[in-house]
Amino acid sequence: MADAAATAGAGGSGTRSGSKQSTNPADNYHLARRRTLQVVVSSLLTEAGFESAEKASVETLTEMLQSYISEIGRSAKSYCEHTARTQPTLSDIVVTLVEMGFNVDTLPAYAKRSQRMVITAPPVTNQPVTPKALTAGQNRPHPPHIPSHFPEFPDPHTYIKTPTYREPVSDYQVLREKAASQRRDVERALTRFMAKTGETQSLFKDDVSTFPLIAARPFTIPYLTALLPSELEMQQMEETDSSEQDEQTDTENLALHISMEDSGAEKENTSVLQQNPSLSGSRNGEENIIDNPYLRPVKKPKIRRKKHGILLCCPGWS
Amino acid sequence: MSCSGSGADPEAAPASAASAPGPAPPVSAPAALPSSTAAENKIPDAVTGYYLNRAGFEASDPRIIRLISLAAQKFISDIANDALQHCKMKGTASGSSRSKSKDRKYTLTMEDLTPALSEYGINVKKPHYFT
Repeated sequence: MADAAATAGAGGSGTRSGSKQSTNPADNYHLARRRTLQVVVSSLLTEAGFESAEKASVETLTEMLQSYISEIGRSAKSYCEHTARTQPTLSDIVVTLVEMGFNVDTLPAYAKRSQRMVITAPPVTNQPVTPKALTAGQNRPHPPHIPSHFPEFPDPHTYIKTPTYREPVSDYQVLREKAASQRRDVERALTRFMAKTGETQSLFKDDVSTFPLIAARPFTIPYLTALLPSELEMQQMEETDSSEQDEQTDTENLALHISMEDSGAEKENTSVLQQNPSLSGSRNGEENIIDNPYLRPVKKPKIRRKKHGILLCCPGWS
Repeated sequence: MSCSGSGADPEAAPASAASAPGPAPPVSAPAALPSSTAAENKIPDAVTGYYLNRAGFEASDPRIIRLISLAAQKFISDIANDALQHCKMKGTASGSSRSKSKDRKYTLTMEDLTPALSEYGINVKKPHYFT
């Protein structure tokens, strides 16, 4: 049996050494332990006194060692089961060794002898040490459903993102300065834009482009802006009384039509006339909405073919 | 289940075991058990345990694993010593002086290993070259 094992091992190791280039993880599993046995064999040879050895002989001895251990295991197991047991005991192993031709009496002497000798082979402890220098922060511990032999969680900085931003400047002076400079820049830019796109007047006769002034557009009726209410006031007035709006606008429309037809004046004049009744209406009470026709709520006109039927929208046109 | 092709040595061992008085063979291994610590064995417990597990041997006591690894170590070292004897015999037989480098550098070759193994009943035939 040992004979066959040795020859088979010789052929096997030969083929194995030829196919060593393709190592899948399953092979690595076996190769790692085989490598350990090789180291052991080499250390034993060194202890015996050899300086060097042929690779073939080392391979032979490695194969023999592996087969020997396997055979002891198999045989001890068989002996143990032969006596209707499942757990091999010491006597099983002793009988196995005896059967394999091993002199068990010499074993204690050999053990003591190796105590005296210097163990040349360093203990084969491959512990892949992850460098601790690069870890930052505490790794998350394993949740209970993950077994402990699984690798640890990665560093927290790899998957946790904490955005950092500078604290905004809250100094009053700085903020005030910033606001002032921004405002000045905006004003400057806006005026320049208006000067470049609109009409300009210039202070100097010859030089037109250096200091352009935005041309003033004189209003035809200068006091119109004072009379017209601003948008904000219009909204407020609309909100206060929206229910009476329809009634009042109808009455005011009739009044406007009458006043307009009577006067037959220019566009501005009619608008002025329109303002007066509406203003009087507003002075009556705060709830009366000023009836600026341009600011009235949108009424969809009844589509009439006749021209003066659409007068609701633009009463200034006759 | 007997080991086929065993030499003279294995036949002597069972004979001595059988001639021992009483039903139990003289078990001297317990003396080796407490003395063998994990640090002495060259073969790590994990490796031995791996090969034993592959054979179906589940060890309950780690000392048993150490005993087996020690036995395997002794097995190999015995063969190595025999091969060394062969190497020395070949060296001194040619009549070279002992102060030469041959005394210091012993290289284990297949020519030394083969006769050493044949005494154990193990016949190895390795091809000289691989095609």
